[in-house]
Amino acid sequence: MGNLLVNTRDQQFVLFEQLKIEDLFKTERFKDFTKEDLLMILNEAEKMAVEVIAPTLKEGDKQGCRFENGKVYVPDCYHAAYKTYCEAGWIAAAEDPEVGGQGIPASVQFANMELFGAANYAFCMYPGLTHGAAGLIKNYGTEEQKNKYMYKLYSGEWAGTMCLTEPGAGSDVGALKTSAKRLPDGKFLITGTKIFISSGDHNLTPNIIHPVLARIEGDPPGTKGISIFIVPKYRVNDDGSLGEFNDVVTGGIEHKMGIKGSATATLNFGENGNCIGELLGKEREGMRIMFQMMNEARLGTGMQGLDLGSAAFEHAVAYAKERIQGKAIWEMNNPDAKSVAIINHPDIRRKLMWMKCHVEGLRSLCYFTAYCIDRMHVAETPEEKEKWEGFLNLLTPIVKAYTTDKGLLICSTAIDVYGGYGYCQEYPVEQYLRDEKIAQIYEGTNGIQALDLVGRKLAQRKGANVMNMAMLIQQNIARAKGVPELGKYAAILEEAANACFDLTMYFAQVGKSGDFLIPILYACKFLEIFGDVLLGHFLIDGACVANEKLQAIYEEKKAYSIGQKKALEREDKEAAFYSGRIASAKFFANEILTTVKARCDAIKAGEKVPLEITDEAFTY
Amino acid sequence: MNIIACVKQVPDTEAQIKVKADGSGIDEGGIKWVMNPYDEFGVEEALRLKEKFGGEVTIVCLGPARAMETIRTALAMGADKGIHIDDPALYEADSYATAEALAAAIKGLPYDIIFCGQRAIDDDSGQVGSILAELLGIPVVTMVTKLEVEGNSAKATRPIEGAQLVISTSLPCVITATKGLNEPRYASLPGIMKAKKKPVDIKNAAALGVSGASKAKVVKFVPPPARPPGKIICADDTPEGKAAELVKLLREEAKVI
Repeated sequence: MGNLLVNTRDQQFVLFEQLKIEDLFKTERFKDFTKEDLLMILNEAEKMAVEVIAPTLKEGDKQGCRFENGKVYVPDCYHAAYKTYCEAGWIAAAEDPEVGGQGIPASVQFANMELFGAANYAFCMYPGLTHGAAGLIKNYGTEEQKNKYMYKLYSGEWAGTMCLTEPGAGSDVGALKTSAKRLPDGKFLITGTKIFISSGDHNLTPNIIHPVLARIEGDPPGTKGISIFIVPKYRVNDDGSLGEFNDVVTGGIEHKMGIKGSATATLNFGENGNCIGELLGKEREGMRIMFQMMNEARLGTGMQGLDLGSAAFEHAVAYAKERIQGKAIWEMNNPDAKSVAIINHPDIRRKLMWMKCHVEGLRSLCYFTAYCIDRMHVAETPEEKEKWEGFLNLLTPIVKAYTTDKGLLICSTAIDVYGGYGYCQEYPVEQYLRDEKIAQIYEGTNGIQALDLVGRKLAQRKGANVMNMAMLIQQNIARAKGVPELGKYAAILEEAANACFDLTMYFAQVGKSGDFLIPILYACKFLEIFGDVLLGHFLIDGACVANEKLQAIYEEKKAYSIGQKKALEREDKEAAFYSGRIASAKFFANEILTTVKARCDAIKAGEKVPLEITDEAFTY
Repeated sequence: MNIIACVKQVPDTEAQIKVKADGSGIDEGGIKWVMNPYDEFGVEEALRLKEKFGGEVTIVCLGPARAMETIRTALAMGADKGIHIDDPALYEADSYATAEALAAAIKGLPYDIIFCGQRAIDDDSGQVGSILAELLGIPVVTMVTKLEVEGNSAKATRPIEGAQLVISTSLPCVITATKGLNEPRYASLPGIMKAKKKPVDIKNAAALGVSGASKAKVVKFVPPPARPPGKIICADDTPEGKAAELVKLLREEAKVI
């Protein structure tokens, strides 16, 4: 039995067999790594996830965070786990050795994060935001700021946040009211209220460093006038010791549906006129700077969909194999027939298959996106760097929105497999669903992600990113068409991909002619279509790799007939694994990709019912 | 202080063990290999002694090429160097031949204390530590749950039925570790990267001057018999009736009372 969180064999498949990340070792940046090193790191990550983090899942949910006498307390069990996690050096794993990291590939760090997030996503938000805040100071901070804050963030000694949202400025961040007043020494007096701040206040670390968006007095309204400031909870003396309280007062914490172990705070900056912030980077560049952290956070949130979806799926499979109920369908009229495990029932198998193909496809999609970061770092020419950066930009909103939308459905389907017990707290799947729901909302709602894709990302570099992606998919289709077992499914992918890229062209045309309502109205639908095509692409690409390996095993073990092959799969775990990857591609193509063209046609039909209906007609 | 920790690579406790069809061993396909958990206590204790007194921790491991992962894990935890005894002549070694090879590898090294796990969770024989001490001509304390080292001696605590036994011993000695001795640390990422540069000597039987001849020979591996199906007692639906039926079955069928 596996770890019930993540299929580590599939992780290795995506990294080493599908993406072939060993190619990275030929580059200067990663020349010191071997496959054995990365396997050892993944193995340690699994141990950390299973033995240290996973035991905090249920207790953290049950106890939740507390707000007492102005202070925020995380679940008690988080403290020891946080210490162990930080001591092992996981926060900065993918950072350069100069800042305290180990410089491992981002693609491998994503695999580690999948394990950690599947164990307890709420817990992972504390180190996750800390990593993001440290990254901002690494890229935009002065030497003094780095020495003061960055190292202590990367080591986990202090924690970080990101402070954007205000009561009147959520999706519309340009409307923010927090102000910064110049002080004679070059620092700023910060005044304002931020809400929904994840990890905003807690007792895991002695200090918390807040990157805060605010407007310097006199700067223009809207996003153009926003600057970003480093605002510590406690001021930091020149020798690095903690100084006086910096007037960051916690107003309270939210009582949420899920991620109850993650403290979501309201923070009042400068209630007593005594909150000092240091400018990070240049004035009025706050949005550009914060977008670095937001993009990272969006990928991290996308991973939340994969993490929890994976854990929900692994649990559902194990449960379906154990739970005995109902007779086998072919024995339904036999009164003496014994009840069987529910995995034998066709509808349960179809549900598990649906979950399996989505989890595997999402894993390939997410790791590929991280692999783009690695490729950017090792690119030898500016053109090559632009290509990979282009993929990353294009895929970020899709990873964020598509992965979390599907992740929620996977969690929900896991509850269906468990039946009534799945709805009960005795089993973990209901918590997965509650913990997952927020992922569709925070870090820019999935609606905002779709607008980002349609309104910004499709047209980036004059559409070159989309064209590159289309080419990648076409190459894959051409290869898969040559594989007898997969040709039929490659043809389905081809039809779906053509329809998707036709729709993309249609959006570009109507956009040019000024009728941009259709792309905006159907942005979410388009993002889902694009995501489906990408998943189909990655699954069929994976199936090509798996098929080659499987045929070699059949050959080696002399399995020729269907019966021999099935018998081999029951004995040989590798054969079963590869055959499962092929099944995922076939199922996804037939179940999902066959619907893509119809959905594209429906959008092109240009119906605008939701816009035409009067507000009064929505309900009586 | 020179400390040696002996480690063995064993199948993970969760691994499903299948016996090969010809009974010559277990099927190693699909098995996840880990450091023997009892050896992990030994490595951790060795590292704590090093942190307290300074010195070096050397890992000694007998096993095929894959056992290098286990040595690397111990190095990533903080040990300084390793000796990997890798020779096909020793793959089937019994407790004696294993201890003999370990002793030969250790003999030339300076050592103040040697740690072994109290037993390996694969073959469960629990003899290697004691035989090793005998071959080296030094004392051994087995099943240790607490260890205090001071100067040239150590006080070791081991559980006995209903009590604790505290044993004083001179150094050098062999300590076999068991659960309760400590909580082994996790290998840190910096530790994993540093471990790559730590030296591991690979030695074969000839280099050690041992023949690898075992005193015991494995005749055959046989899987345990399949568990017979359970029996549901429903003769009489009252608790008293069920109890009576149970007693009857325990006496007449199972013959345990």
